[in-house]
Amino acid sequence: MSFFSFAWNWLKQPQQWHGSGGIPIRILEQLYYSGLALLIAALIAVPLGILIGHTGRGAVLVVNIANAWRAIPTLALLVLLTIWLGFSVLAWLVPLVVLGIPPILVNVSEGVAGVDPELRDAARGVGMTPWQQVRKVEVPVAMPLIVLGLRTGAIFVVATATIAAYIGLGGLGRYIIDGLAVSNYGEVAGGALFVVLLALAVQAFFMGVRRAAVPKGLRQQGRAS
Amino acid sequence: MITFESVTKRYPGGTVAVDRLDLEIPDGQTMVLVGPSGCGKTTTLRMINRLIEPSSGRILLDGRDIHQSNPSTLRRGIGYVIQQAGLFPHRTIEDNIGTVPLLIGWGKGKARARARELMALVGLDESLASRYPYQLSGGQQQRVGVARALAADPPVLLMDEPFSAVDPIVRATLQDELLRLQAELHKTVVLVTHDVEEAIKVGDQVAIFRPGGKIAQLDTPERLLAAPADSYVENFLGFDRGIRRLSFLAAAGLSLDDRSVVGEDTSASMAADTARQAGDEWVLVTDGGHQPRGWAAASDLEALPSGSRAGQARLEPYGHTFDVRTDSLRAALDATVLSPTGQAVGVDDDGRVVGVTSYERLRAAIHAAGQEPPGAAPGGDAGSGAAGPAGQEPQSTASEAAS
Amino acid sequence: MDWSAVPRLTWESAYLGIVPALIGLIISLPLGIACTRFRWLYGPVLSATSILYALPSLALFIVLIPYTGLTDTTVIIPLTLFSLCVLVPGVVDGMRSVPDPVRQAATAMGFGTVRRLVQVELPIAVPIVIAGLRVAMVSSISLASVGQLIGVSSLGYLIVDGYQRDFAMEIYVGGGFIIALALVCDLVLVLVRRLLTPWQPRRSRGEAKALAAAAAPTAMAVAR
Repeated sequence: MSFFSFAWNWLKQPQQWHGSGGIPIRILEQLYYSGLALLIAALIAVPLGILIGHTGRGAVLVVNIANAWRAIPTLALLVLLTIWLGFSVLAWLVPLVVLGIPPILVNVSEGVAGVDPELRDAARGVGMTPWQQVRKVEVPVAMPLIVLGLRTGAIFVVATATIAAYIGLGGLGRYIIDGLAVSNYGEVAGGALFVVLLALAVQAFFMGVRRAAVPKGLRQQGRAS
Repeated sequence: MITFESVTKRYPGGTVAVDRLDLEIPDGQTMVLVGPSGCGKTTTLRMINRLIEPSSGRILLDGRDIHQSNPSTLRRGIGYVIQQAGLFPHRTIEDNIGTVPLLIGWGKGKARARARELMALVGLDESLASRYPYQLSGGQQQRVGVARALAADPPVLLMDEPFSAVDPIVRATLQDELLRLQAELHKTVVLVTHDVEEAIKVGDQVAIFRPGGKIAQLDTPERLLAAPADSYVENFLGFDRGIRRLSFLAAAGLSLDDRSVVGEDTSASMAADTARQAGDEWVLVTDGGHQPRGWAAASDLEALPSGSRAGQARLEPYGHTFDVRTDSLRAALDATVLSPTGQAVGVDDDGRVVGVTSYERLRAAIHAAGQEPPGAAPGGDAGSGAAGPAGQEPQSTASEAAS
Repeated sequence: MDWSAVPRLTWESAYLGIVPALIGLIISLPLGIACTRFRWLYGPVLSATSILYALPSLALFIVLIPYTGLTDTTVIIPLTLFSLCVLVPGVVDGMRSVPDPVRQAATAMGFGTVRRLVQVELPIAVPIVIAGLRVAMVSSISLASVGQLIGVSSLGYLIVDGYQRDFAMEIYVGGGFIIALALVCDLVLVLVRRLLTPWQPRRSRGEAKALAAAAAPTAMAVAR
């Protein structure tokens, strides 16, 4: 039987859609965990990235850290925090945030640093304070990369949230982990299917954000590749 | 010989870069294609080695249509030098130079030996052979580019603004190197530049392009300066073309005055007399080896105590000298202008004074040169040669009477 | 702490991490080169790899189970697809990093297309391609451990086992070895790059930029 038939057989059962373990609830849970973690990661990484990009300091360090961060195994992080803290909010939130920060940081700092120096000069020459330069010139121009950073961060956060079901977190990963435990491949497949759909929906959401947030004059940039 | 037969290059969108061009590039000479941006000169060059294909017309290399040959094979027989050198960053200098020899099947040892030969030829120190391009200066990289183009000894060398990316001093040096190389190798060189001075300096023949891909005038540098075909060419050549043309007239035609030249041991009073008799205010004092020392004013000489030697007078510096055998009238004029006394010193190979010149003598020489038909003995040219203001009619007759 | 299993598990992690990166490279080279030749191709390819990259690895492993079972292949295929997201832009950027004058000079000297590719363009592209490969390899090694959740053995076993037995030491060893393995592979690639490019000045701005580009996949491509 194919993946889809397994999944279909499972999700066409009406009881999957009701109750606290039902599909809608799980979807909302996943969105909640991911959204919260992404928000926190963004609150840390975006200002930091702007600072690094604007002052030009620490850029190489950022790149190296981001590279090294990729080596961190998600499972190990989740599991260790659970062992240290017991299953709690921090046990899942910290890994999600930690893994979400690097892509945001790298992209934001790259984006801000990559603003045409002549533009920066013009802004300074017109009399803008550093804060105004950042707010009115650098951030808008860097917006495509900033959104890309958030989009990439979302990828990591959603993926980690899925795996976090292993340490007891709710969300769509729950179906996968529980299903694997009892060898119910239908449940596993159903969970995986919705994870895929959710991930695609999140990406589509960020494409929409990009459209909305990127000033019209800059849109040409992204499409040329 | 490279021949263009009614060659046109049209781009989609309608731009005509080259318009029914007929051009013959003779062997063994440097042909310079010069003109403003967008006039089609680079396009023309690149059609020779088929980097660009013409829309219509034929190009013949030694009688054969280049379109018949395989492009890669054709290009291995044509050297190509570009502005930014385009050296392979991932190969050493000697391997860069040996690229085409290796490509056509020479062994590595032979290619490297040839590379070293060429390094010597273009004036690069052998120690640079195992370095990488990033370790060389711009001027050095350009030399490597030229060496690389010459490595397989191609009969034809194409150069696309080869010296534009280096500073003026290096540029002048590289231009001189090219002249030297040509004197030795006699390649068929086609060089594109936007700098008309460069064209005049290095070209045996110069083709001035008009915007739109047509040639306005094709001639030797002298004839261009002497007789521009129309106002476009005249403007392109620049405002001091009269003076610049003097570089093609030899100073050998100048008559020099040696009456006002005295040795330092001549008595001061005699020196002063010489000056007065000649009607000059100054005499040129030379040393024992007949080398110039400086100018002495007659009044200063007279004021010296009796028994003094000319060499003891206060001497004005003699400024620049010009070599009577090898320098041009332009050099002589320049030396005269720079001289504190309005007279320039002409010397021979060893630096010994032959005589002095003056504005009058220069005027006479220029006038005489102007009377000779074009292409005659050293520097003869039709039309006015007087160092007059811009906009002079090319065929005007000289009206000043010689003094 | 049973150390006897560690060498085998390390080897398995290495295998599961390195193979996808290398296969990804083998796929990316022709694909990336095609994208530089046919510009219109790059956009769609990039979109496709981005979409794949967005899907959580665990989900992809599961999708493949009915077809490839609980084997290494089930892990290797998704990781290979992920690596494409970094390696295709790596190859494209590497090819684009060849300065135009160099390409033009090569053509003008009589290099045919293939010879120019192999002797000029690819060698110059090496630093940027390797930068991408480093990211791909490190990510693969780390992600491979997630395969343990579907029973595909690697150093992830130590993590899972340590969690189940509440034995932190095993987790430290498992996680630590994964990180160490990733760093060693990274260093090896750096050495390989140094060996292949003696012609580069030691500190190159281009390289730092390439690492940044690779670290944020599709960042450079989008920002073009």
